[in-house]
Amino acid sequence: MLAAALLMTGMALAQIYLPPAPPPPAQYGRVVLDSHAVRSPGAVVFDHWLHRSKFTCRLCHVDIGFAMTANGTGITQESIRKGYHCGACHDGKRVVEGNVVFAACVSDQYVPACDRCHAAVKRGVRKYDYQSYTARYPKTNFGVDWMTAEEHGLIRPADELAGFVPAKPRMPVRGDFDIAAGVNWVRPVQFSHHKHAVWNGCELCHPEIFATARKSAVQYTMFSNIEGHHCGACHLKVAFPLNNCAMCHTRAPMWAQQ
Amino acid sequence: MNRRLRAIVVVCLLTGFMGPGTVFCTSQNGAQSTSPPATQTPAREAWQREFDRICSRTQEAMSFSEEDLASLVQRCDALAPQIEKLDETRRKVYLGRLHMCRGLYAYVLESKRNPKK
Repeated sequence: MLAAALLMTGMALAQIYLPPAPPPPAQYGRVVLDSHAVRSPGAVVFDHWLHRSKFTCRLCHVDIGFAMTANGTGITQESIRKGYHCGACHDGKRVVEGNVVFAACVSDQYVPACDRCHAAVKRGVRKYDYQSYTARYPKTNFGVDWMTAEEHGLIRPADELAGFVPAKPRMPVRGDFDIAAGVNWVRPVQFSHHKHAVWNGCELCHPEIFATARKSAVQYTMFSNIEGHHCGACHLKVAFPLNNCAMCHTRAPMWAQQ
Repeated sequence: MNRRLRAIVVVCLLTGFMGPGTVFCTSQNGAQSTSPPATQTPAREAWQREFDRICSRTQEAMSFSEEDLASLVQRCDALAPQIEKLDETRRKVYLGRLHMCRGLYAYVLESKRNPKK
């Protein structure tokens, strides 16, 4: 009893954090959008693994305007038909990777095509499934290793959408840097500013997620990450999960031989 | 460079001279190409052109002077009331994006005025 109490106290003092176990890779990053409208053909199931293989985070969450919080976007059939939100691409005209992107929400009546997106609790209606779609991508224990996939040229996420926003100048490469860990037994995080900036741009993270540029004012910890703030804003939901410690704490822990 | 990639590059280079609304080639890391709808893109309204001028420069924010950044923040503030008058969909989309642009410029301005301590 005493040993258990000491162990728990020790863990608390040592700040050992246990992020929640992520869902299976096929479901990781899944967003279910349900308007609860009477005439809706059911909730939309959006899987990030499909779209993130084709587009940067920035394109959808900045340029197209998909909020990163639930119920923050206000997607409607009308907005899609006007060419916003899903309709920015899903208009039956735009070509991505040589394929015409199907038009979404074009019919007022239910048609089987509705089920491509409105797929909640329906079986066998999706065109793509995780296993076959991601078969050629490198994996970790937590799903697709998107960074390696991009490095190997297996994915080339588009960062701009013609006709929707004007082309932007190429972003200068930002320097990578170390972030000191809050505890002395963990090596610093090697933060790739370059990698994050290429996929996210600047305004997806600053100032919404990382609110201040003053180093002394930044108070993010693994606790705040696990609560969904700071790194956890993405790395609990879509980007590789916090459980994959070595992706950020790339160097061995203090107790391990260097 | 394989043949397919070379062909894409050639097409991109050629169409790059044809102005906006033809074929788009992304600028990040050889990212894939997407083509716009075949229909002609409607002329952009005055507020939208100003929006594009302001918010298409976020990638360069770190290279701007304090004066430039302060000016961009002011222009964001001046543009917001015009976007407020739009229909609900456009208001939601563009106000959100303007909020992000303004936030970034203000953030970088703060970082320049208060260097890291």
